[in-house]
Amino acid sequence: MATLAPTTDNAETVCFSKRMSQHSLNQLNVTRRGKLWIGQFRCMASPCEILLECGEETLAQELISLAQQEALRIEQKFSRYRDDNLVHRINSCGDCITVDAETARLLDFAQDCYSFSEGWFDITSGILRRAWNFNQHGTIPTQQEIEQLLPHIGWDKITWENPALTVPYGMEIDFGGIGKEYAVDAVLGLLSGKTRNSFMVNFGGDCNASGPMADGSSWMTGIENPHRPGDATAVIQLKNGALATSGDVFKFIRHDGIRYGHILNPRTGWPDTEAPLSITVAAATCTEAGILSTLAMLQGQDAEQFLDQQNIKYWCYR
Amino acid sequence: MQLGKKKLGKKKFGKKKIAGLLSAATCSLLANPVQAEEHDWDIDSAVLYYSEDDDRVDAFEPVISGKKDLGDEEILSFKLVLDSLTGASATGAVPSTQVQTFTRPSGNGTYTVDPNDTPLDDTFKDTRVAFGMNWEKPIDRNNRRTLGFNVSGEYDFTSAAVNALWAHDTNQKNTTYTAGINLEYDYIDPVGGAPEGLTSMDAQDKNDTDDRIIVDLLFGVTQVIDKTSLFQVNLSLSEADGYLTDPYKLVSVVDNITGEPVDQLFENRPDSRSRQSLFGKYKKMFANKDIFTASYRYMTDDWGVDSSTFDFTYRFKFNKGYFIQPHLRWYTQTEADFYNYFLREGERVPSEASADYRLGEMDATTYGFKFGREFDERHVWSVRLERYEQTGESSPSEAFGQLDQQDLYPDVTATIVQFNYSFQW
Repeated sequence: MATLAPTTDNAETVCFSKRMSQHSLNQLNVTRRGKLWIGQFRCMASPCEILLECGEETLAQELISLAQQEALRIEQKFSRYRDDNLVHRINSCGDCITVDAETARLLDFAQDCYSFSEGWFDITSGILRRAWNFNQHGTIPTQQEIEQLLPHIGWDKITWENPALTVPYGMEIDFGGIGKEYAVDAVLGLLSGKTRNSFMVNFGGDCNASGPMADGSSWMTGIENPHRPGDATAVIQLKNGALATSGDVFKFIRHDGIRYGHILNPRTGWPDTEAPLSITVAAATCTEAGILSTLAMLQGQDAEQFLDQQNIKYWCYR
Repeated sequence: MQLGKKKLGKKKFGKKKIAGLLSAATCSLLANPVQAEEHDWDIDSAVLYYSEDDDRVDAFEPVISGKKDLGDEEILSFKLVLDSLTGASATGAVPSTQVQTFTRPSGNGTYTVDPNDTPLDDTFKDTRVAFGMNWEKPIDRNNRRTLGFNVSGEYDFTSAAVNALWAHDTNQKNTTYTAGINLEYDYIDPVGGAPEGLTSMDAQDKNDTDDRIIVDLLFGVTQVIDKTSLFQVNLSLSEADGYLTDPYKLVSVVDNITGEPVDQLFENRPDSRSRQSLFGKYKKMFANKDIFTASYRYMTDDWGVDSSTFDFTYRFKFNKGYFIQPHLRWYTQTEADFYNYFLREGERVPSEASADYRLGEMDATTYGFKFGREFDERHVWSVRLERYEQTGESSPSEAFGQLDQQDLYPDVTATIVQFNYSFQW
């Protein structure tokens, strides 16, 4: 009896704390600064912010709440960490699945990116996380461990004929490389359809502004100094358009003096150790900015050259 | 060993420009055809109040117009105008040292004018309703087409018009060419009937109704000069055919010695009018968001009326969307070939003659300002206060006799007040 009671207590506590963490995960904090409304919540393992110019409190609350719900919806639907969503079904089925319109658009997009990047962008490369554990400092995988996974990577091995998707057993699709940026753009699109006021969506530094503020001034956003996390190294004035950052500032392994970042080459399974510390790209949408910054990181020491060739604005730190 | 293996398969594709392909792919990803958005109307509402000094014309004009984005850059717009005119307007007859009596346009009843007063017809009361719609749709990425119609009616005048416009963008949408046509049919049913031109007012020789057709062609170019300024040039050609006379206006016939009016004739204008105008506008936004607009229009026609209009506004922008916009407009026109201050008794009556001050030689200045607040691009209120002052030759050289001491072209001065509120619905 004495041993049972603590277990029950423990289970209840676990249950309760899980509910509390769910609650804190879904918690929405709305503050006001003059005519600017700021909604803050956590989503996709990042601090998320909606900044909105609005004269009416009720409307501001409604729009920010809608934004949070949309972000959570996308996270829930496309997260690879859940066992109760569409992505899990796709990855554990091994057989043909009919996907919905939104997933189909993402798969078409992933296919286009795989195609014009000549295989550098590949959403089947997610299984490499089984070899690379960036939460544990110091341990890099062996070449053998990598080579066991490589046969199960490659978009060309997937059968995708809208709306039918077949992911062979042992392979996985992972939207982690574009999920956050896509969510930023989706939330921007959703709010743009409901208000003509200016706002900015900022999910952990990946952001998109709908337009300048009513008095014409820009949204201010900063790029974190990779050498001094917490300090901004550049302040960017954003009128409209998006920024996305790829970087290894926190997720990396240092082994034998060499820094291994978490942006992995899908063909080799290894990161480019000559990659910059962080790249921030400006583009019309967050999705585009995200793809460009990721591809740039994969070019290692040629990152800047690649970005120059694309004729876009970027900030690169080594 | 591991380092070496890492370098394997390091293919470079850095030479390829992928930004365009990425942009197109992203467009498909983010376009959301399923989500049925509520399309709002952008509404502009305004009330204009125009009041001429000296108990002349007063106009009260509420207007409502709206624009709705139907999606895919298809736009529907409408405009409804209500125009209520009261007061008295100059008939064109000359003042006299004696009391004058005029027949009302209806033919029933008369009105008198005191000595030395400018004859004004105070039966000048009218309400006009006008409604129009426009439908704009892209033909392809660089071309847009607009089709529209306008109808208006008042108790003695009905009008129906259709219009079409084609806009072509080039130069990454920095240059836009427009070409348009407007076809209008007007039906005139004057009170008492349309008078036979240059017949005596006393004779009341009137027919029933008359009509006219007007064709307008417009060609324009709008050129974006840089991120903060643009320039626009328009060429307009207009042909009007039919009844162009004002059925209520008179031309006085005066005694050859004294200059006193001895007869009043209904005016008569030519039955066609060919007009050309050239318009240029420059708009510039400064770093502090102030906006300067300047425009000039030159208009000429085969009636001999040549005119120039200069228009300037400067918008001072303040915090929180407040603005003040002073405005100055200067207008000058030459008189029509058939414009006459009066006709002399015994002289051959010309085939066309009008003493309507609107066809005379004049200068007019409008000055004032607008102030208001822009909450955002589609939510604005403003108030406009302006003064209109028109002057002409009060003592033309041809005046003689009692006409020397009369004001043959009185100044017209007016106050304009307008309230405007734009919002989304």
